[in-house]
Amino acid sequence: MADVLSVGVNLEAFAQAISAIQALRSSVSRVFDCLKDGMRNKETLEGREKAFIAHFQDNLHSVNRDLNELERLSNLVGKPSENHPLHNSGLLSLDPVQDKTPLYSQLLQAYKWSNKLQYHAGLASGLLNQQSLKRSANQMGVSAKRRPKAQPTTLVLPPQYVDDVISRIDRMFPEMSIHLSRPNGTSAMLLVTLGKVLKVIVVMRSLFIDRTIVKGYNESVYAEDGKLDIWSKSNYQVFQKVTDHATTALLHYQLPQMPDVVVRSFMVSGLRSRVAHGDLSSLPVSAGSSEGGPQWARASAWDTGQRRADAFF
Amino acid sequence: MGVTCVSQMPVAEGKSVQQTVELLTRKLEMLGAEKQGTFCVDCETYHTAASTLGSQGQAGKLMYVMHNSEYPLSCFALFENGPCLIADTNFDVLMVKLKGFFQSAKASKIETRGTRYQYCDFLVKVGTVTMGPSARGISVEVEYGPCVVASDCWNLLLEFLQSFLGSHTPGAPAVFGNRHDAVYGPADTMAQYMELFNKIRKQQQVPVAGIR
Repeated sequence: MADVLSVGVNLEAFAQAISAIQALRSSVSRVFDCLKDGMRNKETLEGREKAFIAHFQDNLHSVNRDLNELERLSNLVGKPSENHPLHNSGLLSLDPVQDKTPLYSQLLQAYKWSNKLQYHAGLASGLLNQQSLKRSANQMGVSAKRRPKAQPTTLVLPPQYVDDVISRIDRMFPEMSIHLSRPNGTSAMLLVTLGKVLKVIVVMRSLFIDRTIVKGYNESVYAEDGKLDIWSKSNYQVFQKVTDHATTALLHYQLPQMPDVVVRSFMVSGLRSRVAHGDLSSLPVSAGSSEGGPQWARASAWDTGQRRADAFF
Repeated sequence: MGVTCVSQMPVAEGKSVQQTVELLTRKLEMLGAEKQGTFCVDCETYHTAASTLGSQGQAGKLMYVMHNSEYPLSCFALFENGPCLIADTNFDVLMVKLKGFFQSAKASKIETRGTRYQYCDFLVKVGTVTMGPSARGISVEVEYGPCVVASDCWNLLLEFLQSFLGSHTPGAPAVFGNRHDAVYGPADTMAQYMELFNKIRKQQQVPVAGIR
């Protein structure tokens, strides 16, 4: 640092020059003070004038002296070096603190990363678009034959087709009964009863599952007006949890091209496996643990069930 | 309603009934259970009247008429090991009219009262069983709401019971074994209470000190 500055500037002289400037400024302000104050009261007019002029002269002399001193010092300070086009302010860029921070290399690294990320994201999206969801691969062979060839818009399917799909699923499993009703227009609502364990209300839009609610076997699924109550949740924490899981599964496995596959997988893996594999006694435990329960709330067996269900997909 | 297990908690050594109940409820509260008011189950015993007995040559049967605060509009009439009738509360009035056939046993009224606790999906009722003026024991009822088949959730109930009853955890109630896959109902709970009351009746009377 010292050698950089010594090129153009004598620091000692610089400090003296600054104090000389201060002295000059104060002497100048004294001159103006003297002018402002005007003549002092004396016996005679001549005496007054003389005293004022003498005072004024003194002040001017001191200004002169200070100015000469400043000039002398400014020669000592020396010329700023010609290397920097910005003169001394150019030295600011030589602040060594910046040299110590690895800013540049970090920036470079970040840039490389973001480039790489973009590249991989592009690759991934290409792959994902090719085989939209892996789980349907196993069932594709079966379902492809049954599915009508052309499905221009899957949202507008004839109700008979929906009925057909549902009744086929209904017939597949003896312990699962599905009751289909259309209380509000053409959208089907399913009441699925699984053994003596739980009831599921599934609200469909065409063949898309819109909403699902899981309730206990002994809970009422009908509202006061006798229609299916699709809004209120279960009174039991276990089934609230199960509803959450079912909804998650529902949102996760959406497959617009093949809605019937989604419905079937949902019924088979999502619901039936709850009874077939993850028998009920494993369910409530997890609800306990979600509550931060005490020692009897062991690791959530429900999650294992969930994983097993996922393996289905 | 879900599957319910009714059991008896023995009075801790050197403690009164009241103290043992407090010990239990404190354990429950530490577990995180929420207090939800009180409950009451009572039971009255009726004999078959002597006049009807002789003519049919049957042994006298006891009938128990019970009420449960969980079902405030119902009245339960049970025979031991027999059928259970669930009727409206007016049934009590009817029993008065049936004096010729069923006679109320003197001082046979037994009841349990206590606090109702909710813990997640579990309902726990700890009550003091009293007969006349004396406290006879402690009843612990645990209900698991979401399930309706006893065999499906007995293990879970057992695990929960162990968490606060410790070594006094009961075995599976007899009503569970009766019907393997059937839906559990309120009558099954009342049958368990009836058994509990009968068991307590036969026991020696504990010191009156425990009454509250």
